[in-house]
Amino acid sequence: MEQVLRPLPEIDAASRPFWEAAREHRFVLPRCRRCGHRWFPPYARCTRCLSPDREFVAASGRGRIWGVIEMSRPYIPAFAERLPYNVVLVELEEGPKMFSNVVGAPFERILVDAPVEVMFEDIDGQVTLPKFRLAERP
Amino acid sequence: MTDRTFANRTAIVGMATSDFRRLYREPDPERTAVGMAVDAVADAIADAGLTRADIDGFVYSSAANPPFSYQPAAFRLGFNDVRYMQMFTDGGRAFPAMLGHAAMAIMHGMARTIVLVHSIAFRTQGTRFGVQSRGGDLYDAAYGLASPGAHYAMSWSHYRARYGGRDEDMAAIPIAFRRHANLNPVAIMRDRPLDLGTYLAAPYLAKPFRLYDYCLVNDGAVAFVLTSAEHARDLPQPPVLVTSVAQQAALREQYTNEDFCFEALGRMKRDLFDDVGLGIGDVDTIQMYDNFPPPVVWGLEGLGLAPRGEGLQWIQDGRIELGGEMPMNTSGGMLSEAYLQSFNQHAEIVRQLRGQAGPRQVPDCRHALYYGLSTTPGASLFTRG
Repeated sequence: MEQVLRPLPEIDAASRPFWEAAREHRFVLPRCRRCGHRWFPPYARCTRCLSPDREFVAASGRGRIWGVIEMSRPYIPAFAERLPYNVVLVELEEGPKMFSNVVGAPFERILVDAPVEVMFEDIDGQVTLPKFRLAERP
Repeated sequence: MTDRTFANRTAIVGMATSDFRRLYREPDPERTAVGMAVDAVADAIADAGLTRADIDGFVYSSAANPPFSYQPAAFRLGFNDVRYMQMFTDGGRAFPAMLGHAAMAIMHGMARTIVLVHSIAFRTQGTRFGVQSRGGDLYDAAYGLASPGAHYAMSWSHYRARYGGRDEDMAAIPIAFRRHANLNPVAIMRDRPLDLGTYLAAPYLAKPFRLYDYCLVNDGAVAFVLTSAEHARDLPQPPVLVTSVAQQAALREQYTNEDFCFEALGRMKRDLFDDVGLGIGDVDTIQMYDNFPPPVVWGLEGLGLAPRGEGLQWIQDGRIELGGEMPMNTSGGMLSEAYLQSFNQHAEIVRQLRGQAGPRQVPDCRHALYYGLSTTPGASLFTRG
C-alpha cells in the first residue's frame, strides 16, 4: 500500500536553527543584531533592515489567537483521518505570527484573542512542531 | 500613480469571452488554454472591427501551473511580426498592471493596437486548489492549512471577532451575485438560483466558510483590444477609456493582511482618483475579485463607501444588487459567472460602459471601477467614451 506522507516543514539553512531548537523543545525566534527586529518565518535576513546579522533568542512561547478555522475537507491526504481539525494563526507576544494547531480543546472554545502557550509535538525522529494550548488568562 | 497625462489616452475597443456556461456543461479532454485564447482573441479583433494585420502588440496571461509560454498562442494567431510582447504568470489578477503597461506602450509609440488575453483550463486539467503534499516554507500545510479559502476563512474569523457578523449576513454576497448570474447567458450558474436556506444548508469547507463562499473552478478565456483613444474614435464600438490604474502591495505570509487591506486601499484610492478629477462617488458600478465574499466587505470599507467595520451591514437589503446603491459584479462575478481571475470582471465593465449589458445594464453607466485584494491589490478605473 502506498504510504501517505505527512507534509513536513521545508527546512533550509536559514530556518534550521529554529527547527533544531524545536526538536529540543525550545521556542526561539530570529532577532536582528543591528535593529532588534524579530520575525517569522526565520528568513536569512532581517525583514525590517535587511541585515544578515541575526541571532536566535528564546521567545516567551506566549501569544494569542489571531484567527481560527476548522478544516473539514481532505485537501491534504495525510490529514484526512483527523478531520475536522483546527488551524490557528497565533500572534506571538514578540510580534510575529505563525500557523499552528491548538491541542486539547474543542473548536468552540478556541476563540480569537484567547491567550495560548507553546507546547511541542514530536512528529518523527527529525521534526518537532511547536503547537499551542489554551492558557489561563493572566 | 497615474495622472492626467495617462487618463483617457487609451481605450478598450474590442472584447470577447468564451461561453463559460457551455464550456462547463460540455467537458472536452482535448480543450486547452491556448485553443480558448486563440478563439477569444480572434473574436475580440472582429468585435473591434479590425483584422489580424492591425494588431502589433500581444499580452498573454494564464496561471503558472503548468508552466506556459505566449508562443503557442502567438504561432496560431500569426503574431509573428508584433513589436510588443508581454507574458504574465500571476493569474489574471495582475490585469491592472498588464493594462497599465500596455497603455503606456501605446502612449509611447511602442505599439499601436495591443491584444490582451487571459486563458485557463483549470477544469479540464483537474486543477484542485490547495491540495498539496509538501509542508511549505510558510509552514502552513505542516499544520494542515491548505487552500486559498482556508487562508481567507482565517482572516474572516478575525474580522468577525472584531466587528461581528453572522453567516446569514455574509450570505447576501453570493446570493446577490447569483441573482446577477441568473441574468447572464454565459454565466455558469445562469439557471441555478440561490437562496438563504440553500446557502445555510451547505456544509462548511473551512469554517467559517461554506460551500457557496467559494468561487468556481472552470475553463475559459477573455480577450481585449486596446488602442489609442484617438484611433478608437474611428472604430465601431463605443470606446471604453482607461482612466487610471493602481497597484498597492499589502503582502503578508498569511495571504491577507491584518487590517484587511484598509490602508492599502486608501493609498490605491488616492492613486486612482485624486489627479483625474473623480471620486468614489462618481463610480456607477464596481466589478471586483470575488474569489471569496470578504473582499467585498473589505473593499467597500477601504474605498470609503462603508464605515470601517460596518461593511457587512452596508451590503444588506440589495445595496450591491442591480437597482441598489452600488451594483457590484453584475455578471455574477467569479462566484457565479466564471473564474477568469478579474478578466471576466473587466469584460463586464466593457459591456456596462458600452451600454451592452442587456437586462443587467446599470442605467447611464459612465464610470466603472475594478478592484482586487488577492495578495497583490490592484484597481482600474474606466470612463465611457
